[in-house]
Amino acid sequence: MFACSFHVSTMAVRALIASFACLIAPLALANDGVKTPPFERVQLDNGTVLLLMERHDVPLIQFDARVRGGGRLDPSGRFGVASLLASLLEKGAGERDSLSFAQTVASVGGAIQTDASLEAIVVSGSFLARDRKLMVELLADMLQRPRLEDKELQALRARRIEFIRAAKDSDLSALLSLYGDAALFAGHPYGNPVVGSEASLAQITSADIRKFYEEHVGGDRLIVSVAGDFSAREMKRLLTDAFSKWRKAKASLPEVPAPKPIASRRVLLVDAPDSVQSYFWIGNVGVARSDPRRAPLDIVNTLFGGRFTSMLNSELRIRTGLSYGARSRFDRLHLPGAWQMTSFTRTETTIEAIDLALATLDRLHTEGLDETMLASSQTYVLGQFPLGLETAAQWAAQLSTLELYGLSTSYIDDYAQALNAVQLADTKAVISEVFPKSDEVLLVVLGKADALREGLKKYGPVEEMKLSDPEWSKR
Amino acid sequence: MLRRLSVGLIVIASSAFAQVPGEDQVHAVTLSNGMQVIVWSDRDIPNVAMYNWVRVGSRNEVPGITGLAHFFEHMMFNGTSTRAPGEFDRILEANGASNNAYTSSDVTVYQNWLPSASLETIFELEADRLRNLSFDPQVIESERGVVYSERRLSVDDSQFGRLAEQVQATAYVAHPYSNPTIGWPSDIESWTVDDLKTFFKRYYAPNNCTVILVGDLDPKQTIALARKYFEPIPSQPPPEPIRTKEPEQRGERRIDIVAEAQTPLLQFAYHGVAGSDPRLPALELLARILTDGDASRLHRALVEEQKIAISADSQIEAGFDPSLVWFFLALPAGADTRAAEAAFDAEIERVIAAGVTQEELERARNQALADFWRSVTTINGKAQALGTYEVLRGGYARLFDAPQAYEAVTREQLQEVATELLRRTNRTVGVLSAAQLTRVEGEE
Repeated sequence: MFACSFHVSTMAVRALIASFACLIAPLALANDGVKTPPFERVQLDNGTVLLLMERHDVPLIQFDARVRGGGRLDPSGRFGVASLLASLLEKGAGERDSLSFAQTVASVGGAIQTDASLEAIVVSGSFLARDRKLMVELLADMLQRPRLEDKELQALRARRIEFIRAAKDSDLSALLSLYGDAALFAGHPYGNPVVGSEASLAQITSADIRKFYEEHVGGDRLIVSVAGDFSAREMKRLLTDAFSKWRKAKASLPEVPAPKPIASRRVLLVDAPDSVQSYFWIGNVGVARSDPRRAPLDIVNTLFGGRFTSMLNSELRIRTGLSYGARSRFDRLHLPGAWQMTSFTRTETTIEAIDLALATLDRLHTEGLDETMLASSQTYVLGQFPLGLETAAQWAAQLSTLELYGLSTSYIDDYAQALNAVQLADTKAVISEVFPKSDEVLLVVLGKADALREGLKKYGPVEEMKLSDPEWSKR
Repeated sequence: MLRRLSVGLIVIASSAFAQVPGEDQVHAVTLSNGMQVIVWSDRDIPNVAMYNWVRVGSRNEVPGITGLAHFFEHMMFNGTSTRAPGEFDRILEANGASNNAYTSSDVTVYQNWLPSASLETIFELEADRLRNLSFDPQVIESERGVVYSERRLSVDDSQFGRLAEQVQATAYVAHPYSNPTIGWPSDIESWTVDDLKTFFKRYYAPNNCTVILVGDLDPKQTIALARKYFEPIPSQPPPEPIRTKEPEQRGERRIDIVAEAQTPLLQFAYHGVAGSDPRLPALELLARILTDGDASRLHRALVEEQKIAISADSQIEAGFDPSLVWFFLALPAGADTRAAEAAFDAEIERVIAAGVTQEELERARNQALADFWRSVTTINGKAQALGTYEVLRGGYARLFDAPQAYEAVTREQLQEVATELLRRTNRTVGVLSAAQLTRVEGEE
């Protein structure tokens, strides 16, 4: 057994929920020394984009394929369609049924992961260089010839519902952003719980899956990034042969308006009657991936809640010992996603901890940063940046992300310069423009409602639901 | 990453995986005070992973101080005679570095990830806390609260953690591997500053540490820095070895927990092998055949076919002493735990009676080899692998033999390992069932 000083570790990570959260985590941050290595971009006639980066250090090939769309397109009340479809892609495709597909992948030591985020269905994986043809064949089968069998859907859907129940028996901090996003973005597609809910998953039929596949999966929506030990010429030919004839998605990608920030504070209390700790999430609408203020925002968020000595962690952990950890982050999507701060503490100290978190946010607004803090954050962000751009897997994911969000390599190559150019005035501006005031936030608390209800009223109107409710929101 | 890999090696590696490149780039020295330093140059990114492996974990604890190794890990960030609490992290982060640490039953590992330009600063910080650690009573109290919060998160508010803690405690009658690394609540509440001081002197001596550095470094300069900063720290008498050997288990043990949970859980913990045991590669391949991926036996049978479980996983612990081999089943709400246990038993009995097929062995071998490669693509992965092999598996050089070790495993060895270890009399079974379901069954 195992215990850590900062990051939460469990012995067997079965947190399905957490794996979805990873997809919307902010990009890793950059350093002077890192420039995008050469790669080739090819657009096929049907719209499919291929991104190829040779890296011959180890005999592995990593791919990262994304189909634009994802959970934001789930039909209302049937949240989880995109995510179930993603999983079904490897449950039988082409000539192989589910078992034979799994055996084929495992027999060559391959690895495939399927997933959905709000804005894409993601199929990624890695194979030994010698198995590159098989890799392309399997990827093409998954995307173009999935069997989508009803019996596989039934089994997977039942298991997904059980995974959600299991997650409610585990570390509840993993569920915070599901409740937070559903309440903050209510009525907007960014409020869709991509994993689905116990109630919504139960509604999903094979017809829903097939309709989504026909309308929202096709060559014009596809980005395939491959990085690793291959010849770009050969890989281009293999992928072009595999994908150039693929049909387009039948529907167009719908435009949605930007979500609106909330203007006054309110509270969602989720009753977890057996919990000995309270888990809280405080947030509002933040910024889009393409926001030009990225560098000052990263600097400020790092200082506020993005590293061990951050203001939040210093208060809630280091100074008071109220919690094992506290942090903040931006979810950066096409449109502004959430900015959020999260922590947890024992039931009896819940109000004290929330007060402290809100007061720390106030302090960010009133005191801002000084030159020492600015310099420390610049150096830290620069110093940690290359660690996210080390492997073929990271580069494949990075290339897909840039393409998905319409960003150029300047996003990586010029980041160090942008960080170094940040002045105190820039940080002051973004604090005022982007970081919410403590009376303009949504507060979500998971914990023992009977012990918390009265104390929470001072923060604003309290809406209540139960952890056992089969939805992530009251609606 | 292995940027300097020669063309010849690529061909060998791609075709047969016979050899791990980079072995010739590893430099190891033992300083005059007994500290081991291992350096592996890898200049893909301008960063360094610096891990200090301290040979102390919860197996070194006795009743009254369980959890102290882990608490100590927290206290290593909380001030020295030359630096106030918090300075370590503040200086480290201002120099572009981040850090973390973890504690297991066997070891405590301190991890730094830094831009290579900050290397000397980090050496100085690490040497300072190994030499001058101090204990501020106020900080001890605040950190006690932090660790308690960690316990609530990972054990008290997690049905999985709650059950695993009980299974581990039940699996050992003599050996201190029974101690939960996070500590029993009454011990968390009671550690004293004297406990911490004794622990520091006994276990945080340089001769009890192995420092691993991987990344953008010059081995000669790095070893010179190690001599400059670490060598002056005086060595201490080596800690007393753990004398107790767990006696052979004579019958199955069980722990049944009834909880307000939706998802019933089953955990099976078999006494297994130590990290240096030559049977480890065979055991790893056996566990893969049973639980790695959608084609594995337990997943196919219990999850896909019988739909009696929603997941089937395993974990092999391989420490200084024979450790546990775990299997974890999560069941759907309302499921019959006895039926699931019977289905699990049937699969285990089948592998003991009939062994595995050649196809299964080949598949597991390829999975192990490919995962081995994936694990050494980062400076972190390399630092973790070097440390694991050096400290727990009989020497870092064995890391480079890992592919051959998997190649050498036979079907017969897999069946022998299954027969010897996966006996019912060698295991502890943990069952966590939902309160509601149990009541219904009781009324019938």
